[in-house]
Amino acid sequence: MRSADLLRFAVQAITGQRLRSALTVLGIAIGILAVVLLTAVGEGVRRFVLGEFTQFGTNIIAIQPGKKSTFGLSGASVASVRPLTVDDAEALAGLPVIEGVVPVIQGNAEVAFGARKRRTTVIGVGADMPGVWRMQVAAGSFLPDDGFANARAFVVLGQRLYQELFGSANALGQRVRIGGARFRVIGVMASKGQMLGFDLDDTVYVPVVRATELFDREGLMEIDITFPEDEQPERVEQAIERLLTARHGRVDFTLVTQDKMLAVLGDILDILTAGVAALGAISLVVGAFGIATIMTIAVNERSNEVGLLRALGARRAEIMGIFLLEAALLGAAGGVGGIAVASALVSVILLVVPSLPLGIVWSYVAAAFGVSVTVGLIAGWLPARRAAGLDPVEALRAE
Amino acid sequence: MLLRLDDSLQLAGGALAANRGRTALIMLATAIGVAAVVLLAALGEGARGFVVGQFEALGTNLLVVLPGRNETVGGPPPVLGTTPRDLTIDDAYALTAWRDIDQVAPLMVGEAPVSTAAGLEREVTVIGSTAEMAALRHLEMGQGRFLPAMDAKRGAALCVLGFGLAQELFGTAPAIGQWIRVADRRFRVIGVLRDAGVSIGTDFNDVVIVPVASAQTLFDRRSLFRIIAGVRAGADLAQASTAVHAIIAGRHDGEDDVTVITQDSVVATLGRILGAITLGVVGISTISLAVAGLLIMNVMLVSVTQRREEIGVLKALGARTRDVHRLFLFEAVMLAAGGGLCGLAAGLGSAALVRQLFPAFPVLAPWWAIALALGVALGAGLFFGVVPARRAALQDPVHALARR
Repeated sequence: MRSADLLRFAVQAITGQRLRSALTVLGIAIGILAVVLLTAVGEGVRRFVLGEFTQFGTNIIAIQPGKKSTFGLSGASVASVRPLTVDDAEALAGLPVIEGVVPVIQGNAEVAFGARKRRTTVIGVGADMPGVWRMQVAAGSFLPDDGFANARAFVVLGQRLYQELFGSANALGQRVRIGGARFRVIGVMASKGQMLGFDLDDTVYVPVVRATELFDREGLMEIDITFPEDEQPERVEQAIERLLTARHGRVDFTLVTQDKMLAVLGDILDILTAGVAALGAISLVVGAFGIATIMTIAVNERSNEVGLLRALGARRAEIMGIFLLEAALLGAAGGVGGIAVASALVSVILLVVPSLPLGIVWSYVAAAFGVSVTVGLIAGWLPARRAAGLDPVEALRAE
Repeated sequence: MLLRLDDSLQLAGGALAANRGRTALIMLATAIGVAAVVLLAALGEGARGFVVGQFEALGTNLLVVLPGRNETVGGPPPVLGTTPRDLTIDDAYALTAWRDIDQVAPLMVGEAPVSTAAGLEREVTVIGSTAEMAALRHLEMGQGRFLPAMDAKRGAALCVLGFGLAQELFGTAPAIGQWIRVADRRFRVIGVLRDAGVSIGTDFNDVVIVPVASAQTLFDRRSLFRIIAGVRAGADLAQASTAVHAIIAGRHDGEDDVTVITQDSVVATLGRILGAITLGVVGISTISLAVAGLLIMNVMLVSVTQRREEIGVLKALGARTRDVHRLFLFEAVMLAAGGGLCGLAAGLGSAALVRQLFPAFPVLAPWWAIALALGVALGAGLFFGVVPARRAALQDPVHALARR
């Protein structure tokens, strides 16, 4: 038999039983649809979360006190006997491989303007902050580069806090009280929105040395540095490590590079996506049983057709090929149908809500299609073997 | 003739038994769906039970007081809590003025190098607290004793080690009575915590616990990291929380600058989140039951086509349309029910197996998942059985028989 004949045989068998084939294909299609849609959601979450982190740029390194793993809060962020200091930040700023340095202290205090008060997050930073954290100033200017040690008592307000305290009035030049100390407003930040639940707009930014006085603590919570795009990250890390180790006499700090953090996050989110794909695959397994059932029935019904073919000289392998092909075609049709519906759905959703982070993962789509064909083949295997094993004489007599 | 109920059942059962291969396949497909739903729900509930249990073991009648307060609603609490005005040890003990607060433990946290005379050194978390902490956080001792009750504002050169840290510093040698160096101060080990195994939240395996006043000198900070307050069992937590705010404001010149978290609300939030995840996972796996229903419909359609003559004979003998309809519906439901029960057994069985292997996880299929899985399976059988059954019932007996 020619392979073209084999194919025609299989296709005719499928189209000859339209309703039955359609239902079988639908079973597979639902499974594939589930896998493709769920992985699209998983990918969307991944993009969203990674986007939240990369908005600060990728050539940024955070230096934290204490030795610890990439995630998790160690006691050193709260207090340490060997803290990172403003002097450390100053020394880092002198390194040639470093572009911007932002020492960070975060605290919580009452900010008051006249009778209006609001408890909020106070962040002590340096003049490099807008460049390093990629934030925009909406009005006025950011903290001037006074050097870390003798910065003047200026404050830059977050957008939300500005609105709460001043409404729409001009805040520039006004004096506000933060935890009892007086600061002069020299700028208002543009709105940055939420970052993983933390409202970046409900904050005020003061010079870091003022924050150390305000909160009466010497240790920084973090030093963020950026380096030029064309610089090797390893070289920057080594330079920082050398400098701080020389200053502290030991490695009592942790470098968190954006790459490391993104890699860890990406791994976690990949596992999540694979997990939901596996959940969707349960339906695919159930759909495979549909192919197996229909093929079992088909072999029974067409045993005299098989007998005739065998009597005419078709080999066992060819009979097997016909039925396997039929099963694979059913699977493939389900795969194509499921993928088509899934992509249509995703496009429609994205048209209606463009901000939704949905993304079809084509590697999963390809895998889903491969799986659907494979599932057809596996499900068709036993029935096809039964068909091939039929004795032509017996099969013809069954009529 | 009117088909009696038991006759109908027998006929339907006979038809299923006659086609063993396809019956088994369809039941297996349904069983996989049901087993998946039941097992996933059991695992989800198990995870929830484990996490909530861990937190409840800490006691739900706790208030945690953090320095600092944000007015943004719904945001995270100021975890790192640094404020212009210190939260002090006196603040902590002032809380006992409220009638329902019977115990408080002030807490300092920081990181410092810890070393032994043998020269081993590690960076670890140092916790400063008082004797009350053991009771409030349900800390159990492996050897020795916890910090003794004493004036919280006086330091002492005593410390308690976490289990893991004690092993790393001293191996199998006794740790009690040994001196260790924390940063530039020496402390005598008076106790080692019991090996807590897996724990969520603070890891007490790798810590040194010293008197809170000693931690204050060590880190040269006065402000506490947290105050843990134990509320009398059965008392109103919300009321106690309000009282804490009032007491602190009274001591801080009218400024209410603390956040109070009730252990209760943490447990409730966690429970809700994990419950939602379980529901989502179960919902996704329920799709497979819809697919199984589709397969039942397919097989039933085949069955109707193959049994034209049988239907013709039944009708010729006087079976009414309703009887034939019921006959095929029975068959569909029997397929679904058979598969559903097998799947339920498999799901419950694997849940029991997981429970045997990991006794810490209370993996138990919740009744709603069992009802959902069986209900959806049966419902799908009924729903998808209707079309084939109608097809069979509406067949013209003359036509059906004449086809021969």
